Formats: sequence, structure tokens, C-alpha cells
Amino acid sequence: MIAVENLHKRFGDVHAVDGVSFTAPDGKVTGLLGPNGAGKTTTLRMLYTLMRPDEGRIVVDEVDAVADPEGARKRLGVLPDQSGLYPRLTAREHIHYFGELQGISGRDLATRTADLLKMLDMTDIADRRSAGYSHGERTKTALARAIVHNPGNVLLDEPTNGLDVMSTRAVRDIIRRLKAEGHTVLFSSHVMQEVSALCDTIVVIARGKIVASGTPDDLRSLTGHQNLEDAFVALTGLEVVER
Amino acid sequence: MTARTFAQALVVFRKELKDWSRDRRSIISAVIGTLFGPLFIAFMFNTMASRQRQVEEVKIPIVGIEYAPALVDWLRQQSGVEIVEGPADPAEAVRTRAEDVVVVIPKDFVKKFNASKPAVVRLVADSSSQTTRPKLQRVRGILQRYNAEIGSLRLMARGVSPVVANPLGVEDVEVSSSQQRAAQILSFIPLFIMMAAFMGAMQIATDSTAGERERGSLEALLVNPAPRAAIATGKWLAGTATSMGSVLISGGLLLVIFQSIPLQDLGFRFRLGTPHLLGTLATVLPLCTFIVAVQMYMATFAKSFKEAQSYLSLLMIVQMLPGFLATMYPVTSKSWMYFVPWVGQQVMLTDVLGGKPPTVWMFLVSAFLIVALAAVAVRGTTGLLQREKIIFGR
Repeated sequence: MIAVENLHKRFGDVHAVDGVSFTAPDGKVTGLLGPNGAGKTTTLRMLYTLMRPDEGRIVVDEVDAVADPEGARKRLGVLPDQSGLYPRLTAREHIHYFGELQGISGRDLATRTADLLKMLDMTDIADRRSAGYSHGERTKTALARAIVHNPGNVLLDEPTNGLDVMSTRAVRDIIRRLKAEGHTVLFSSHVMQEVSALCDTIVVIARGKIVASGTPDDLRSLTGHQNLEDAFVALTGLEVVER
Repeated sequence: MTARTFAQALVVFRKELKDWSRDRRSIISAVIGTLFGPLFIAFMFNTMASRQRQVEEVKIPIVGIEYAPALVDWLRQQSGVEIVEGPADPAEAVRTRAEDVVVVIPKDFVKKFNASKPAVVRLVADSSSQTTRPKLQRVRGILQRYNAEIGSLRLMARGVSPVVANPLGVEDVEVSSSQQRAAQILSFIPLFIMMAAFMGAMQIATDSTAGERERGSLEALLVNPAPRAAIATGKWLAGTATSMGSVLISGGLLLVIFQSIPLQDLGFRFRLGTPHLLGTLATVLPLCTFIVAVQMYMATFAKSFKEAQSYLSLLMIVQMLPGFLATMYPVTSKSWMYFVPWVGQQVMLTDVLGGKPPTVWMFLVSAFLIVALAAVAVRGTTGLLQREKIIFGR
């Protein structure tokens, strides 16, 4: 479970995140939807504790992420905005490296790695160096190393951005599977279809503020648009809509 | 640092070493940094030795051996001299560098010699050639000796003391140039060892900091619940390992080279042995920790591998300054110098190689100081890894 309360972050004069609050419950997929530059990545960065909020509270499974960032990171699996790989390491070695940093080792790590490789359908590239990977293979590797410790909460920053159909499917399958296993999944996207296909709750963010949140149906009725894309345009283009 | 933090540092350490060992570029630069010094010194000594040999063992081609049998016989008796038949066209042979010096004895040599007139002997040489000069000097010296010997005999035959013919007694006081060159070569050793330490560290120091930023892998790494101190320490340990490895190999090779060169035969009075090597290692190995820590700190500011390398090449110039200055202005070591980090190590190296190693306490104190400073720099890097500008700035 992730709960965010009145989050603020300023860069100079820019108020990148301006009073964001929402909750992402266990066993649900929550989508952070907004156009480019809306504050999605900044919000996520504060959630995964690499950025310190100027104001506000973040709670990850009862752990205050601002006061105890390391404790929060133990409960998080993160696919950050930038998830570069090490070109001279194989997919398996990437997963091992992060697993060991999480404190997993030996047989547990080997089993978990084998499971992840199978789940993400990447056994054929497992022992190849990542230098020649396709975009999809890179994303899968980054995702696998992010969830090697089977975290209760998974944060994904635009996970399907730039992926082909097959890789997008693989990522969606993972998200559904994580949900079925009772994890909290929070991911950001600027693609309407992506969010509507996966999410239980959608949080729409524009210019650093939350403009609406609810189930896809809630958003449709809120805006009076049957088409979600029209709803999205209406929401992000307008002033703050009363909920 | 807790046991868990240290365990995580070791995870980072192993990963960085594995990554490093697979990088061809890093291996090449480490090998160059390690081997350059020993190879350079081996080459220098080899050149000196062969020059020396060339001068001592001289082969003199003579045209017209039959015209001066007595002179040629005398020449043959001189040590290190070998007489061979000269080429048909001496001037051409010298011009084409087939020969350095050719002695030409004219037909009328014996006639003039017997008449006690100056019997001409021509030395054909090209004195613009560097390698010719010592040889020409040697041949001329030998001929002058013959000149003096015969001259003295003639004077004595006429009842005159040969001493009369020598109003001046000119003595050469040799301020040995080869000895000086040897000292110069020795003063290069600290530079080369430092270079091995520096180049051995550089790849990991840049790849694990600026490289991590450039690839965009830093963000994902820092999301792990490992303290920044563990990550910085692991990377620092990995860099220290490659740096120390470089120094060990470089130092070992230098020792082998110095023991396989017959220095005594070259006329050098010094010897370089295991005590010198141990003293050098005791000085430089602790210094490696500091070099790596400073390199990492600087490279963390860089957004890309290239940027980091340009910072570090500046650092390389700065770090070589004390060594260069020491070769140009040899200063006597003052006791305060030992406690200035970096300078202290240079002074100690000079002492060690000069055969006056400092006391064990001195080694311990300076090692402690430099490792403490390295720890401060690692802590600085840890601090940098907390900064949002460093983590996200691309």
C-alpha cells in the first residue's frame, strides 16, 4: 500500500508537483496518467525516495518514506525513468547483482532468477551480454532486476514506452500477475489505452496537480465523455475539475 | 559501517571487478599504464649498454693495411680493437652509413715514417652522425697513443727526455655522464610507479561513477536498499584493487629488469633489489587508496565517461607535478614533508630508492594519514550520491 499526502516539489520557480495526494491499495493497479511534463516522473521519484519532497507525506506499508527512505526502498520494486543496463553483464547477472544488494543469495537467488527469466520469457537471452539487447529485452531485464526481491509495492515509470507489441504484452502480463499476487502496482503513462486496459484506479495529473481520480467509469461519467480519450483531454486541458 | 553495509559493499566490489575485467578498453589502458615504465627503463638501459659496448669494442676498417704493417700490428695488440680490411670506396661507405669510421693509410706512409716526417693517416667519418662521434673519438685516441709512444721513442733515441715534449699535462676529470644518466633513470621510477597506480585506477573510477550516470543505470542502482556508503565503498575498493594490482605488476617487473641487467658492467655503482621494491610498495600501495578515492570523487561530477576522462587527465598532470619538480630541482627532504600527503610519498620514494629508507614508524604514520584522507574522499563521494542533481542530472 502506498499513500501520498499533499506532496510538493519545486525546482526554482517551477512548481513541478503541487499538492498531490492519492492512495494505491494492495492488490490493485493504480495508473498515474498525465501528459508529458505533468509531474508524473517527479512524483514517482519522490515515492521511490531518490528525490526529497519539499512538503508532504509518503507512506509505504506503514513506513514513512521521507523519514526512513531505506526502509521504504526495501518494500519497493522500481522501474525508474532511466533504467540503463550494464552492457558487459548478462540478464542473469543483472538480476543476481540487484538480488544480492537486496540481501538474497545462494539457492534462493538462483531459483528466483530462474522464475523471473521464465515469467518474462527471456531464458534465451539470459546468458547473453546486454550490449546487443533490443529495447524490449532491456526493459524486461530492468523489470526483472527491479522485482527480484518480490516487493510488496511495484512502481513503474512509463514501463511500455517505446516497446513493440510483444514486449508490451509481456509487461502487461507481469502487471496483471503482480496484481493477482496481491501486490500494489503503481505505474505512470501518458497513453490512455494503456491505463484503461490495466488500471483499477486512474489518477489524472496535469501541471503538478491531480485533476481527477477514480475508476475508468468514474472518469467517463465525471466528464460526460463516453470515450476515455476525450475524457482525458477534457480533464487535462481544463481547470481543476471538482470531484 | 555495519556488517550488512560491508556485505553490500562487497557485492558492488565483485560486480565492478567483473565488469572491468570484461572491458577491453580498460584492460588495454591498465596494461599500458603498468608496462610502460618497466619497458621504458629496460629500453633505456639497453641503449646505454649497447652504446658502451660499441665504444669499447671497436672494429676499425683500414684501407692500405699493407702500407703500415707495424702500425697495424700495434693496433691489433690493443684490447677491444679488431682490424678489418677497409672498403674500396671509404667516403661512399661512410656516407651510406655502412661504416662509421674508416682509416686510410696512404702508399707513402712507410717512406715518410722512416724519414721521421709526419706520416699521414686519414680518418674518414661523418661527424654529424650521433653514433659516430664516440667511435671516432676512440679511434683518434688510439692513434694518438701510438703517436705519443713513437714520438717518445724517437726523442729518447736522440738523447732527449720525452717529458720535454710535453709542456702541458692535460688531465681529464670525468664527471661521468653515464652515472648521471643512470641517476636520471632512477628518478623516473617514482613517476612510472605513480603512473601505474593512476592508470590502473582510472577505468573503474570513471566507469563506475560517470559511466553509471551516462548509461542511466545509477538511478536503478540507488533504488536498492543499500546505503550510499556501501555503494561508494564497493566501487572504491574495486578501483583500489586494480590500482594496487597495477603497482604490484609494474614494481615486480622493474625488479626483474634491474636484476637481469648487469649494472656493474655498465659502470653503475647502485643496485636495486628486493628491499627497494618492498619500500616502494609500502609507500605506494596505501597511496593507491587515495588516488582512487580522489579520482572517483571528481568523476562523480561528470555526466559522461568522456567528461570524466578530461577531468582526470588534468588531475594526472597535477599529480605528476611533485615528481617532475623533484627530478628538476632535487630538494633535500625536510621532516615536515613526510607528513604532507602525496608529497610525503614522493619524498619517501626518493629516500627508498636512494638506499636510505625511512623508519617503519614513518611508513605506518604516512600510510595511516593517506588512507584516512582516502576515507574522507569516499565519504565525499557518498555525499555526492545523495544529491538530486547528481542522480538525475544528465
